[in-house]
Amino acid sequence: MHLLEVENLTKRFGGLTALNNVSFQVDEGEIVGIIGPNGAGKTTLFHLLTGFIKPDSGTIKFKGENITGLEPHKIVNKGLARTFQVVRPFRHLPTIANVLVALQSPRGNKQIEWLKTPERKAMEMLEDVGLSEMMMEPAENLAHGDLKRLEIARALATEPELLLLDEPFGGLSPIETAYLTHPIQRMHQEGRTVIIVEHKLYALMRLVRRVIVLHFGEKIAEGTPEEISKNKKVIEVYMGKAM
Amino acid sequence: MIEQILIYGAISGAVYALLAVGFTLIFGVAGIVNLAHGSFFMLGAYMFAVLAPIGLSQLGLLPALILSTISVAVISIIFYKLTIRPVIDQEIAVMVVTVCMALIFQQLMLQIFSAANLPIPSFLEGSVPILGVTVTYTRISALVVSLVLFASLLIFITKSKIGAAMRAVSQDRETAMLMGINTERLYMLTMAISASLAALAGIFIAASTTGVAASWMWLQPLAMSFAIVILGGLGSIKGTLIGGFIIGYAEQTVAITVPEGGAIVPVIPFTIMVLVLLLRPKGLFGKRLEIEE
Amino acid sequence: MNTVTTLLRRIYSSFAADVFDIPPRLLAFLLLLILLAIPILTPSPYLLRILTSASVLAIFAASWDLLVGRTGQISLGHALFFGIGAYSTALLFKYYGLPLWVTIPSAVLIGVIVALLIGFPCLRVKGPYLALVTMAFPLILSSIVKWTPLLPVFEGEYGIRRLPSFFPFLPIGDQRIAEYYLSLILLVVSSVILYKVANSKTGIVFISILDDEVASKASGINVTRYKLMAFGISGLFASLAGCIQAHLLTVANPPVFALTWSFMPIVVTFLGGMGTIYGPLAGAYIYIFLDRYVFTTLIRIPSEWEYTTLIAITLVIVILIIKWPRGVARFVTDKLEDLMEARELEERGKWIWKRQKKK
Repeated sequence: MHLLEVENLTKRFGGLTALNNVSFQVDEGEIVGIIGPNGAGKTTLFHLLTGFIKPDSGTIKFKGENITGLEPHKIVNKGLARTFQVVRPFRHLPTIANVLVALQSPRGNKQIEWLKTPERKAMEMLEDVGLSEMMMEPAENLAHGDLKRLEIARALATEPELLLLDEPFGGLSPIETAYLTHPIQRMHQEGRTVIIVEHKLYALMRLVRRVIVLHFGEKIAEGTPEEISKNKKVIEVYMGKAM
Repeated sequence: MIEQILIYGAISGAVYALLAVGFTLIFGVAGIVNLAHGSFFMLGAYMFAVLAPIGLSQLGLLPALILSTISVAVISIIFYKLTIRPVIDQEIAVMVVTVCMALIFQQLMLQIFSAANLPIPSFLEGSVPILGVTVTYTRISALVVSLVLFASLLIFITKSKIGAAMRAVSQDRETAMLMGINTERLYMLTMAISASLAALAGIFIAASTTGVAASWMWLQPLAMSFAIVILGGLGSIKGTLIGGFIIGYAEQTVAITVPEGGAIVPVIPFTIMVLVLLLRPKGLFGKRLEIEE
Repeated sequence: MNTVTTLLRRIYSSFAADVFDIPPRLLAFLLLLILLAIPILTPSPYLLRILTSASVLAIFAASWDLLVGRTGQISLGHALFFGIGAYSTALLFKYYGLPLWVTIPSAVLIGVIVALLIGFPCLRVKGPYLALVTMAFPLILSSIVKWTPLLPVFEGEYGIRRLPSFFPFLPIGDQRIAEYYLSLILLVVSSVILYKVANSKTGIVFISILDDEVASKASGINVTRYKLMAFGISGLFASLAGCIQAHLLTVANPPVFALTWSFMPIVVTFLGGMGTIYGPLAGAYIYIFLDRYVFTTLIRIPSEWEYTTLIAITLVIVILIIKWPRGVARFVTDKLEDLMEARELEERGKWIWKRQKKK
């Protein structure tokens, strides 16, 4: 059984078809990348997978269960979490409270081991992404790079089996990008399945084992990073037709 | 009876639509929930009540009409500059401040004119039977002028440059600013238009009925505007027109058919509003956001 | 004997840490002491009556602030709960003759149920739409209780009168004092509860909903359930305020559903500072001070100009809101914190200077 099964997913916004009959599977323990030029439908795909939008047709199955059209918080509590392309911290709350919120969800709460307080667990999660110093800072005072890490910490707080990262390296310097690959690799080693949407191909290709390419809402290629980087159609789509 | 409903519903509908479109305009373009919108309705009626008798003997009613409308427009711009502008980034603050000003306007009118009714001369004397119902020329003129104004507004917004600017700002404020649109001036213009339309609606309704009396005269038109905007769908001018007619007809139907209906009529816009929000929050023609970005 | 003193000392130090070290709380505590002492200093029944209404208004405003300032659900119709509290306790008394220590809790319970019922449709809408729909409810009820066919039930314009007062067995002067202390105690208890809720994990989730509902959902939070919770708690205290008011005035009449009552908590909270617990409380006292003292006793306005009182008050409020958009009380506490920070920096500066000199 595949961890995630997407079948014939289609979404239209008025006259624009954002996703057209997209199908793919992701197995447990994989780390998969989704790439494609802007407007290819990547973020729409994430919105659909996490229940923020409903598809016009097609199904999404998670752990064998049909989760198409379920409400976002229910999907999270089944073990599917996500981060946002444009960070969405809780500005008025201190950093640690941001994580505490996620620990208040049914799933997040369950996963706190006996004898540990939620605060303790939140501190550990912040340590994992290197944010312990900023613990009591209001989230609105954090730098962009820190906020990206906070997004991840918050998503991890719900102990997801599948984590969707939407452009985690967006707006980060090369050093920050390199730094962020560690927690991502670590969570993959811990057994979590990860799907990453990214534009920074050099960072992504080194991180993932399989790549899916979207263009104008359709899946145009799928394979290992090496195969994809040699794929004529993909190169054409990114670079334009060869002279 | 049906003829009564048919005709009076149309008249009410047209004027209500005129009133409501100002409210939706200022909300769509500037994001301002102007709870004092009904006050402009009231001020227009009062201005006219004061100026009309002066004009009647010499120049006719048209100058009084124009003067009243312009003065309300001017007041609205001052109102915007002094009270809304400082707090414009906080939605709740705007609501609080505008409602306070609405209360102030109401009390001011009560102070100056007391709670008594102020009669308003009708535009045109005489009436004509339509479908067996006697309709005053005043009411007919109200209907016609409202529709004409509504159509002009529509053309202005869709065809003119300023109208395009309004549409741009209502869709994406920041980009519009980057494109060089002076949002501040646009807001003032929109405020003036919004208030003028409300004032005219106030004059029409007061002239068609018993005149003007402050007590809660700012609340009904406000509630009406809300209900129409919600029913028609925010951001849709067409929706406002249709919404206006629906509510106008609903009111007339209840007032004429239900016993003691007159007392219940104020409740109608509210009930419709609640029902719409329960069953179809985006209204008839509204655009709904799927995920708030 | 020793254990008792140690216990007392322990209680005192925890209390001191909780209250004395934190400027806003210290301020609140001092004000509370002053308020408690007032009847002893100046037993003027008029002053007591004013302050009693301030307490009721404060509870009402605090309930509103929890919903709006903490959870971000804009309510322009809080008078609904206030009025339901008032009328429920009145109707229970009228039809069942129950004493007020039975009718009031029951009325509050009804208030909570109504809040949850109202919550459902309200949750589907946001922002201005929510504001408008909440505004509608009390106005609908206002028309209903005034509707002539229902006169025997709600007794129309005059409302249900001759409700039992709180302390009928005391002489009039003492009644005022007793009512004053009762409402003050209820205010303190309500504030503490609301404060605990606001600072609990649930309160943190409320703020997350206020800040970013989408992110909250993405963190696994059932936003709908939390919103309903906020509605329920808010409705509880709002209807409590309505009940108290009804028995203080011994009448429950249509004005309790009026728009002015819906706007009171908004204006008052804004004055004091939204999103805090002390904000609405401070705002309530400031407002009552303005309304009943400044513009009534201090500045005498001739009766032909009666309408100008409201104009004046509202103008002052508008000016205050524009000047201090975060609220007057917030302004004060912000200044206090700045002062404390400045003093800390100064001390640290001196200490560093001393160390430098030693070298």
